[in-house]
Amino acid sequence: MLIIDCPYCGPRDQSEFSNGGEAHVKRPDGSADIGDREWGEYVFIRANPKGIFYERWVHSHGCRKWFNCVRDTSTDEILKIYKIDEERPKLDSFKNNVKTPSGEPNLGSGNFTVKK
Amino acid sequence: MSDLNLTDNKFIQFHQKIGFKFDGVKYYGYKGDTIASALLRNNLKLIGRSFKYHRPRGFYTCGIEEPNALVQIISEYSEPNTRATIKKIYEGMEIESQNRWPSLETDIGSINNIFSPVFPAGFYYKTFMGPHKNFWKKIYEPIIRKAAGLGKPPKEFKAVSTHLHHNVDITIVGGGLNGLIAAKSLIDTKYSVLLIDFDDQLGGILNNSNKVLSVNNQTPMDWISETVKEIENSKNIKILKNTLVTTYNYINHLIAVEDKFVGSRPLKDKVNSTLHKIRTDQVILCNGHIERFLSFQNNDLPGIMLCSSFEKYMCRYGVIPSKETVVFSNNSNSESLVFSLIKKGFKPKAYIDSRSGENIEPDLFDLIRKNDIPLYTNSQIKGAYGNKKLQKILVEDSSGGVNEIKTDFLCLSGGINPDVHLFTQSKGLLDWDEKDLTYKPAQAFQPTITLGSASGQFDFNAINKEINEKLVIFGIKPVQIKLELNTSHKFKIEKLWEVLPQKQTIWSKSFIDLQNDVTTKDIRQAISEGFDRIEHLKRYTTNSMGTDQGKISSINALGIVSDLLDKKVNEVGTTIYRPPYAPLSFAAIAGRNSYEYYDPERKSPIHNWHITNGAVFEDVGQWKRPWYFPINKDETMDEAVQRESKNVRENAGVLDGSTLGKIEIKGKDALAFMNLIYTNSFSKMKPGTSRYALMLGEDGMVKDDGIICKISDEHFIATTTTGGAATVLGCMEEYAQTEWPNLNVYMNSITEQYATFNISGPKTRNIIEKVFPEVNFSNEAFPFMTFQFHEYEDTPIRILRASFTGEMGYEIYVPSNQAVKIWEKIISFGKEFGLMPYGTETMHLLRAEKGYIIVGQDTDGSITPLDLGLDWIIGKSKKDFLGKRSLIRSDTVRKDRKQLVGILPTNKNEKLEEGQHIILDKEIKTPTPMLGHITSCYQSPTLGHNFALAVIKNGQSLIGTKAFASTPELKTIEVEIVEPIFYDKENTKLAS
Repeated sequence: MLIIDCPYCGPRDQSEFSNGGEAHVKRPDGSADIGDREWGEYVFIRANPKGIFYERWVHSHGCRKWFNCVRDTSTDEILKIYKIDEERPKLDSFKNNVKTPSGEPNLGSGNFTVKK
Repeated sequence: MSDLNLTDNKFIQFHQKIGFKFDGVKYYGYKGDTIASALLRNNLKLIGRSFKYHRPRGFYTCGIEEPNALVQIISEYSEPNTRATIKKIYEGMEIESQNRWPSLETDIGSINNIFSPVFPAGFYYKTFMGPHKNFWKKIYEPIIRKAAGLGKPPKEFKAVSTHLHHNVDITIVGGGLNGLIAAKSLIDTKYSVLLIDFDDQLGGILNNSNKVLSVNNQTPMDWISETVKEIENSKNIKILKNTLVTTYNYINHLIAVEDKFVGSRPLKDKVNSTLHKIRTDQVILCNGHIERFLSFQNNDLPGIMLCSSFEKYMCRYGVIPSKETVVFSNNSNSESLVFSLIKKGFKPKAYIDSRSGENIEPDLFDLIRKNDIPLYTNSQIKGAYGNKKLQKILVEDSSGGVNEIKTDFLCLSGGINPDVHLFTQSKGLLDWDEKDLTYKPAQAFQPTITLGSASGQFDFNAINKEINEKLVIFGIKPVQIKLELNTSHKFKIEKLWEVLPQKQTIWSKSFIDLQNDVTTKDIRQAISEGFDRIEHLKRYTTNSMGTDQGKISSINALGIVSDLLDKKVNEVGTTIYRPPYAPLSFAAIAGRNSYEYYDPERKSPIHNWHITNGAVFEDVGQWKRPWYFPINKDETMDEAVQRESKNVRENAGVLDGSTLGKIEIKGKDALAFMNLIYTNSFSKMKPGTSRYALMLGEDGMVKDDGIICKISDEHFIATTTTGGAATVLGCMEEYAQTEWPNLNVYMNSITEQYATFNISGPKTRNIIEKVFPEVNFSNEAFPFMTFQFHEYEDTPIRILRASFTGEMGYEIYVPSNQAVKIWEKIISFGKEFGLMPYGTETMHLLRAEKGYIIVGQDTDGSITPLDLGLDWIIGKSKKDFLGKRSLIRSDTVRKDRKQLVGILPTNKNEKLEEGQHIILDKEIKTPTPMLGHITSCYQSPTLGHNFALAVIKNGQSLIGTKAFASTPELKTIEVEIVEPIFYDKENTKLAS
C-alpha cells in the first residue's frame, strides 16, 4: 500500500485516498462545434502507460482536495506530488525505470523474482 | 509415554499435565507442547491422510513449514487446516484428523493409491472434459471435491480480532541469534524498533539445536534471557511474540498476525488475534532458514522427518520421536543432530551420506567412528517401505550393493534454504548460489537488510562481520559476539535432489510435494508434455501450490527440472512467492469490520418513532428506511401498501424523506457552477423557487436527479437521491477543483443536519395550516415549486412545495435535533384528516403512477434524458454542462434507443413483474428479439389493476401498440404500450 503525501495534510495511508485517473486531460467545452472524435476521446480514452504516469488523486477520506501526482506504474514509486494549479513537471525531469524491451524494470516488477 | 521424554528440557513444564482429545481418544501432554510434540510423546506417528492418494502421513517437520500434519481444531469453531507442529495444546482441546473416512487407520479413500497410475499430472484437465459441459459442474467436481481436499469449513464462527497500527523506524523480523544481536545493538539508540518473533520463546536456533555451545562465554539459555531482559528494559524496542509476519508489501508495509491465546482456549468475548499493520523505514530480516527434504521411493511414510526438526523436538520440546533413528544427508546440517543424539545417549542406528568420506566434516566423521555407528558414505537411500509406518529402508552403498536396514525412523536433510519468502514479497531479487545449492537474497528493492541464514550467510564465524557491515548505517557500536560451537561453523553440501528407485513400478512414488501429492514422475511427465517453464509446470502439476507453498520442497523441484532440462537453476528461475507467508484466518483480516460493524447503519433522526410505530425497514444504501407501516401483525406488505397509497390519494400521507441527500452550494459563482453541473438552466429562476433537475455523466447518461432550490445567485440547496449523495458531492468537488478552479464556489453535505418530511394528499393543506398557522399556504402565496423560510417555536425551518406522489404536497426541512417534535406534531394534528405515515414502497408506487422515475431503477447508466422523454429539462441555450456534447453523439441520437414507456396488461387481471422482457411475438421462439424490459411494476389501488414502466427500443414511437411480456415459465402476457403516466396527466392536483 502506498503512502501518499497530500499537499495539504502530509503523508497518509493510501486507504484515505481515491485515484482519479489520468491528469492533465483537457476538457473541451460542451458546445456542438467540438467534433465527435475529440469529444469521444475526452470521455472514453485514457492513457495507461507502463512507466511514468501523470495522475490525479483526491484525499477523499481527508481534506477532499484533488491534487496531481507523477507515479512510475512499473515500480509504484511516487516521483512527485503537486497541487492542481501547479505546472506539470517535465517528463525528462524523471528517471524512467523502464529499460528492457518488454518494459520490465530491473528491480521491483511483479512479473518475476529471478532475472536473467 | 514417559520413556520418550527428555525431562531436562527447560521449555516444557513437565509438572503440568494437559489432557486433550485426538480423534476422540484422550491423550496427555505437558504445558508448552504443540499438538505434534504431545502426540509424538504418546508414540503416535500417523496424523493424517494425503490430499489426493489418501496415503498415511506423519509429522515431517517441527514448524510452520509442515506439509502433512494439518488438523481440524473442533474446540475452536472447528478451525480446519491447523498446523499440528505449531499449535499449542491446552486442557480440553479437541482435535480431529482430516481427509479420511471412516477413520484415520482405515481410510476408504486410500483406494486412490491403488488407482494412482491413472491419476497422473493434468489428470483432471484431460479426463473430465465430456460428455457434456454440465458434467464437470454437476457430477465430476462435487465428487472430486468430496474425495480430495483438506479440512472441512467451519459451520459457525464469530470473529474476535482487532487491528493495530505501528509506525516505527526499524522492524526486525525474527528473534533468533541474529535478530537478538541486532536488537541488542539498537538498545537506547534514537530509533524506535519492533522485534517480532513467531515463537513464544526468543532464541531461534539457540533453542532448537545444539549447534552453539556458548555465546560470550555464557550458555545460550543464559545469554538469551540476559539479552531479552536488556531489550525489554530498553525504552525504544518493543517485542512482539507469537506474531507471524505474513506479508511484506510495498513501502515497507508489513502485516503480522499475533495469536493472543497460545496454549490456552480462546475466550469468546476476548480478542483472539491481533493483526499488526506496520509501517517502517527499515526492515531487518533475520527469519532464518528452512531445511529441505529429498525425494526417493515412499519418502512420505510416517516415521520420516527432517533432521533439524527431529533435533528441535529434542531441544525445544523435550521429546525424542524415536530412540533408534537412521540419518540420511547430503550436507553438514545433519552433524548437529548426530551430536545431540549421541549426547543424549540415543546413537543413530546408521548414518548414510551421499558424500564421500573425505567430504564429510572431520568432526562428524570422528564422532560416528568413535561411537561405532554404521557409516555408509557415497551412499543413497533407494526407498523406504512399511505399512502405514516406516519399517525398513534400502541403502545403496558406494560399491553398488543394496543393504536393507530395519528401522522405524529416518531423519533426512537435503540442504537448507534461506527463508526468502518475505524478501521476495518485497520484490527483492534472488540469485542461485552454486556452492550452497540454494537461492539467496541478492538485491533488495526496498530498504531491506537480511542477516544470518536469512541472507544466505551460513557461516557462524562471519556473524560479527556481517552485522557490523550491514548495520553501520544506523551508527551502532560494533558488536563482538564470541561464539563457541559444537559443530563445524561452515555449511557444506553436495548436489542430490532425487534418488531413483531400485525397481520402478507404476505404483512407485517419490514425492516432490507432500501436501499436494505431486511426485517426481509428475514433474517428468509435465516436462515431456511441454510444460517446461517453471510457472506452467507449477500450475500443471500443482507442485508447491498447497498451503505450505512447498517450503521444504520447491527448491528441490527446481533442481530436478534444471537437471532434466540441462539448464542452470538460475535459468529455470523460481515461481513467485506471494503473500501470505502462511495462511491467516479471515477473522484476523476482518478485524472489527465484521457483523454489526461491517457496514455502518445510518438512521433518520426519527428512527425510534418508526420502531415504536411498527415500521418494517428497508435498506437503502447504508440507510434504514421505513418500508411500510403495517397496522397490525396480520397485515401483509401488499395490504399495507394498498392501504397507504389509497390514503395518500384520498386523504393525506407523510413520508420520512430525511435520507435524501442535501448539498448546500455557496459562492460568488454558484449560479455559473450549477448551470455547468445540472442540465437545467437556473439563470432565469427567481430566488425562492425550485426546479426538478438532472445531473448527467460526461457520457450523457443520467447519473442523478433532485430538486434545486435557489436562495440567490450565490446560494443553492440541491437534493440528491438517497444512494447518490456522496457521489454527487464528490462529482461537484471534482469539477469545482479540477475543471473550473476559477469559479468561486464551495459545497458541503447537509444531509444529516436536516430531517425532511414529505406531506402529500388532497388534505395536506388542512393539516399543514394547522401545524404552521402563521404561514399562508394559499396557492397565490405559496405556489407549486417555491419554498419559504419560517420559524417554528424558535426553530428555523424551510418549507418547499413539491410533490413526488402527484398529489399536492409540501416538504418540511427541520434541524435534525428538532425533528421528532415537529414530526409528532404533524402526526397528531393530521389525525382528524386521516393522515397516515407511509413507507418507501408506497412512495415508489405513487411516483410510478405519476410517471416519475427513480434513478437507478428506471435508469441504469445507459439512459439519456431524451430516452426518458425529459427534453424539457435540458437547458439547450446553455453553451455547456456536464455531458451536453454527448447528447448529440451518433449513439445517443440513434432512433432505436431504449426509451421510457408505460405498460398496461390488456387483460386487467394479469400481473406483471419487474425484469420481465417485452417482446413482439406471442410465441416465444429462440432466439426471441427483445425490445426491452419492465423497470417498475405495481398493483395500483387507484387504477384497480397492474401497471408498469419499461424501457424498450424505440418506445416513444411504439406508444399505442401491442406487445407481450414474457414470464419465467416461458408464457407471454399481452400488454399495451402507453404513455409513462397513469395518474392526473394534466397536473391539476399538483397545483390545486
